[in-house]
Amino acid sequence: MATRIKQFARDKGKGIKFYFVSALHRHNGGRARLYRDFAATRSLEIENKYAAKIDAFDYNLKREQLGAALYDFDEETAFNTAVEPVIARKKTALRLKYRARRETLKRAVTKGKITETAAAEALAAAEAENERLLGAFRERLTDRRRAAFTAEYNAARSSAGRLSADDFDAAKTAQVLAYAARQKARCAQKKEVFVRRNSARTARYERREARYLNILRNTETAVSVGLDDGAVLSVRDLCMYFGGIKAVDGLNFDVRKGEIFGLIGPNGAGKTTVFNCITQFYKPTRGEIYFTTKEGKVILLNKEKVHDVILRGIVRTFQNVEVIKEVSVLENLLISAHRQYTSNLFEQMLHLPVLAAEEAVIKARALKVLEFMGLLPYMDWYAFGLPYGVLKKIEIARTLMNNPQLIILDEPAAGLNDTETAELSKLIRRIAKEYDCTILLVEHDMGLVMEVCDRILAIAFGRMLAIGTAGEIQADKSVQAAYLGVDE
Amino acid sequence: MAGLLKNDYLKAVAPRPPAGFTALSRLKKFFAQPANQFLILGALMLVLFLLNKINSNLVPSSIINAVATTFIYATVAIGFCLLLGYSGLASLGTAGFIGIGCYTGFYMMEQAGATYLVALLTALAISLALGIVVGFISLRIEGIYLAILTLGLSEILRNLLMALSSTIKISLANIKLFGVKVDDKQVFLLIVFMFVVLLILTGNLIKSPAGRAMLAMKNSTSAAQAMGISLMKYRLLAFVISTVYAAVGGLMYVMLIPNITTSTSQLFTLATSLNILAAVIIGGSKSLWGTLAGTFIIYGLNATVLNRIAFFSKNPAIIVIVTGLLLILVVMFYPGGLAQMVKGARAFIKRKAAAIRRRRYGDED
Amino acid sequence: MSIFLNAILGQFLVIAVTVLATFAVTLIFKTSTTTNFAQGSIAALGCYVVADLLNKYKVPVYYGVLVGMVVGIGVGLVVDLVIFRKGRNVNAIGKQIITMGLVSVIFGGIPVIFGSPENIPFAPFYNYMELGAEPNFSFALGGGDIVISKNGLLNLGITALVITVIFLLLRYSKWGLGVRATASNEFTAELMGINTHMITAVSWSIAGALGVLAAAMYASSSAISPSFMTTIQVNAFLAAILGGFSTFYGPIIGAVLIPLAASLIGSLNSVLVSSGGSSSFDFARWSMIIVYALMLVAILIKPQGLFGKRIAKKV
Repeated sequence: MATRIKQFARDKGKGIKFYFVSALHRHNGGRARLYRDFAATRSLEIENKYAAKIDAFDYNLKREQLGAALYDFDEETAFNTAVEPVIARKKTALRLKYRARRETLKRAVTKGKITETAAAEALAAAEAENERLLGAFRERLTDRRRAAFTAEYNAARSSAGRLSADDFDAAKTAQVLAYAARQKARCAQKKEVFVRRNSARTARYERREARYLNILRNTETAVSVGLDDGAVLSVRDLCMYFGGIKAVDGLNFDVRKGEIFGLIGPNGAGKTTVFNCITQFYKPTRGEIYFTTKEGKVILLNKEKVHDVILRGIVRTFQNVEVIKEVSVLENLLISAHRQYTSNLFEQMLHLPVLAAEEAVIKARALKVLEFMGLLPYMDWYAFGLPYGVLKKIEIARTLMNNPQLIILDEPAAGLNDTETAELSKLIRRIAKEYDCTILLVEHDMGLVMEVCDRILAIAFGRMLAIGTAGEIQADKSVQAAYLGVDE
Repeated sequence: MAGLLKNDYLKAVAPRPPAGFTALSRLKKFFAQPANQFLILGALMLVLFLLNKINSNLVPSSIINAVATTFIYATVAIGFCLLLGYSGLASLGTAGFIGIGCYTGFYMMEQAGATYLVALLTALAISLALGIVVGFISLRIEGIYLAILTLGLSEILRNLLMALSSTIKISLANIKLFGVKVDDKQVFLLIVFMFVVLLILTGNLIKSPAGRAMLAMKNSTSAAQAMGISLMKYRLLAFVISTVYAAVGGLMYVMLIPNITTSTSQLFTLATSLNILAAVIIGGSKSLWGTLAGTFIIYGLNATVLNRIAFFSKNPAIIVIVTGLLLILVVMFYPGGLAQMVKGARAFIKRKAAAIRRRRYGDED
Repeated sequence: MSIFLNAILGQFLVIAVTVLATFAVTLIFKTSTTTNFAQGSIAALGCYVVADLLNKYKVPVYYGVLVGMVVGIGVGLVVDLVIFRKGRNVNAIGKQIITMGLVSVIFGGIPVIFGSPENIPFAPFYNYMELGAEPNFSFALGGGDIVISKNGLLNLGITALVITVIFLLLRYSKWGLGVRATASNEFTAELMGINTHMITAVSWSIAGALGVLAAAMYASSSAISPSFMTTIQVNAFLAAILGGFSTFYGPIIGAVLIPLAASLIGSLNSVLVSSGGSSSFDFARWSMIIVYALMLVAILIKPQGLFGKRIAKKV
């Protein structure tokens, strides 16, 4: 008994050390990655800021120039430019009124209140009245404004020391050039300071990460299971029982790296249960699930907590779209990158610079993903009320935020029409290629599965029927029997 | 007139400045920062305090008192807002948590003779532990069951207070605040300070990953878990924040109203929990400003406005009826509370302005 | 032994009241998916009517209570028809807030209608019915006197009768089937042709009537005030949770257990004293805390309540 207690304490002790060291390793690694990524984002930000400053200065200059020009030359043009828009507006307003009148008259005619000729007459009268009103308005405006303009013009003229347009140009242009040069220099200087500081920070965190990694190497015992020829996921003898119901019963399969793997079966075959077991929403009754992480380490997924699965590189979508409705599309993506934030609660409550850095980096990444998925126009929209197809796309976009090793799609084509499904199959291939990841999908749309999947596993009542390429599955007798029934 | 002309001309030739570089847009940016808004609120309260000090006819002490009461309850309410509006967890234990703050403050400052800071830290520690316990409960029990269970917990705490001490009574003369002896006027400043600090911290939190994680958890627990959000961590966090804020509120309450009889005080009963809930709902459960406004309607409106109207001050029962009706109407017709109302009004004005512009300038067909 | 027995027998009135209140709360929860915080104040309002009728107008107790229950029914109906039906898209928490608003309205309304009426004298039903001068049965048993309050017995009897009738209705009548269907899924029940409006309206009126009956019983042992039912109501909620909302009988068992447990624990002091020992721990003072704490533990172990069924959630 005593030895067993001692053994337990030793194991636990190792576990606690392992826990803290790996947490520290993860934290420092996260910070190192953050500052590495931050370099590019922040440099770009600084550049944009100074460019905007120069632009603004330029703009103000232009306004000044125009203002000067007003006093300098071409009274007539200046006057017309100022007055014409007002007259145009008045004209539109009158036309709108006229249009409204026309509609009323039309309605009256259809109701038979007045004859058509009377309507035409009334309309003509209205038009003439409009012309008259416009003419009167033009006259009135011109008179009134002319007086004001002359007054302003004379006042400006009489004020001493105003530059002529040409002088103004030369002086101001020199000024703006000097300003731009100064801003550019400051921009370069700021960037340099930032890069120096940032690289120092990055190096510091990298050093720490390496130190903790060294300790980890000595404490962690990797799972000593070799997976055959580059399998990413290996499911072995998976069983999931709910009371007496055997939802999944002794399932074995491997998913190879880089392939698109389909899981099909009639309703109630246990497909989603398999997914839930892999992502640890259900704890399997029996069996092991092994997984190769991006670093090439093989781990036993059964031991992971459900919210830690994403850290290992597995992300999933849901059958009945689970987009967060109360936040914008962009924020949905930020939420999915939750585990990439390394700032702790106090840093968040005080909004310290590290949080701003993280937000900048992750937002930049989110924008890239949104662009890839064609969701940029929806960026600031609330997810509530968006069309179903867009919601499905948001779900897939969320998975891409985490640089995943394995993406699990649960019925991505459900509820989509034919064109959208065709788009989806293209998208799935593009994702697998560009993000260099493996995709596992459950789908009822046989067209999509047969077109897009490299290999397919067919199951029924929690047991395997067949595994192979699309052609092999279609030819398989037991699959046909499961879907279509057996002829007596 | 003359300036108008020049501006017309300029507008026609150079229509729009680059964004973010006019004085107005910079001002807008400054006010859009929640932290700045909260600081301005604090500054306004300081002005109120000074006006009261200069001449108590200018700003009567009753208003100062009402503001202090509102802020105390609002401290509790913003914690609750985080719990209900952001994490989607309902709790009716607020009164009990306030009670814990009250009693800790009383015990530490009056009986143990500790300073305010020590009392505050003790209250924080105790409420933190309590929050963790309730957080763990919330992992097993959800929804209305959780609400009633926390109600039970609140009743336990209330009975505990009654068993421990029949009156909670503090004499301010014994308390030192940062080494300075305080009177009830300085307590007001303390309340404003604590409230603004907590408001800023909360405002920051809900705009950070943690706030988003809570929202995710509220909307879909399974999606949140799949995105790597630990339910345990954030439920505990939400409950810890709400209990800690409630305890801080209780601690301040006991300094503002230093004599409470535990068996008859309404403070520790279900009524307080429900009033806080109502304040958050009336204001809009996802808006801090809304929550403050809601708390004011329930706790401050009476003393500051209604009592000055002859009809209401003659019939105090009518005030209660009006509050109740208001509550019912808001929930029935504006489920998003005052925050939604303001948002709706803004959208309405925008729409009207657009319509006017269309009418004036017309659109080509 | 006799102390324990007395502790149990002395709780008849409180048990009767709590059972009625709990049943009302459960009925509303199952048909309208809300916890009705106004249950206690609607009951108090009805009780004021009963008190006025009995004391001011000297109406016989049967009619007085019946009229009070009709008032309860009326208020319940108004709440359901005017407020809840208009706010069908209000979520569960919103409905709770509405009931709280009602509490406010009734609290403010009672002084307006009845003047300033704290502490109206209110004799037990037993006295009003003039069933005899002696208020208690008492006899010797096992070395002590056993005392049973006739009023408590009477109230318990009335409660048992009422609850039995309602249970029979729930089990065998069409309305009962409708209630059970609505409780299981309101939307589907509506699609299946059940008039859920009718069901909720009837449920609210039954809840109102039961509340007033309970309040009129409880008024004999506690001074009437707008909030005099609050403690009972809180206990009713807790009892409902303890028994589990998924059945009708679970909450009632919970409602019997809570006052019993409190009274038993409260009597421990005198038991210890009478058995020759002494206790420094004041059980009577801590009895509610212990009961609530025990209940909390029980619910944590069985989150669905003692008689509840677990409902699995699909991902």
